[in-house]
Amino acid sequence: MKSILNVLVLLTLLTFLITSCSRGVDRIETVKVEVKREPLNLEKPPIPKQEELNWIIINSENAEEVFKKLEEKGTDPVLFGLTDDEYEDLAVNFAQIRNYIIQQNFVIDKYKEYYESEETNGTD
Amino acid sequence: MFGQLKLILIGIMLIGATGGIAYVYKLKADNAVLKENQIKLEEAVNEQQQVIAQQKEDFDKILQTNKELNNLTQVLQQDLDRLDDKFNKTNASGKKRDIGDLANARPSSVEKIINRATGNAIRCVEIAMGSPLTEKEINATKKSEINSECPSIANPSYVPHN
Repeated sequence: MKSILNVLVLLTLLTFLITSCSRGVDRIETVKVEVKREPLNLEKPPIPKQEELNWIIINSENAEEVFKKLEEKGTDPVLFGLTDDEYEDLAVNFAQIRNYIIQQNFVIDKYKEYYESEETNGTD
Repeated sequence: MFGQLKLILIGIMLIGATGGIAYVYKLKADNAVLKENQIKLEEAVNEQQQVIAQQKEDFDKILQTNKELNNLTQVLQQDLDRLDDKFNKTNASGKKRDIGDLANARPSSVEKIINRATGNAIRCVEIAMGSPLTEKEINATKKSEINSECPSIANPSYVPHN
């Protein structure tokens, strides 16, 4: 009788052991980490005031008159000269610099809009 | 002997029943985990779909911005071409304009013209740097009213007629 009981106890333990050995389904663990990015929000630099420029055209005929006028105004009688072709080049260079500023501003505005707009603000 | 066999059979049956019950409980637990997993997977799929939609939106924005930048570059190039035309315009008789000749012949008139143009060019740079347009600049529609150095940025209401 005692040996039967032992067998029964062993069988019970074996049953639990086998049941426990079967591997269950793994639980999926997902982790969400939100990283907030502060918008850079750099202010654009203030617009500098541009000084007015005044060109003086000088040729072989009016040179004396021009220098006389300069002296009358109390300005140093000296002029920094450009030829007509160089003047044209200067105008084109100036326009190219202006266009570059416009394009750069456009790019900065679009970057700001893309990365710091309301929908994307703070998250990335 | 028969009694002992009966007892063993009853024992086996009991153990079998216990094992069966334990297995059912385990299945139930597995089922719950599977349901949970299914919900999580559905959520993940949903999130992925949102990410794909966002990526598509971003891609459209990038394409649109590139298009706008190309348009802007073209408009600015037109301003540059116009400036080049001003210096090298060909008149009705087929002679190319020479600002040097003109300045030599009429220095004071040309002086006035280039000083006005320089004032306009300086204003163009201010606008390029972000200076707001004046009412006069915004409303200018006639050629005589516009900033001829950079009408594309200074006079939004002006439509050039080529």
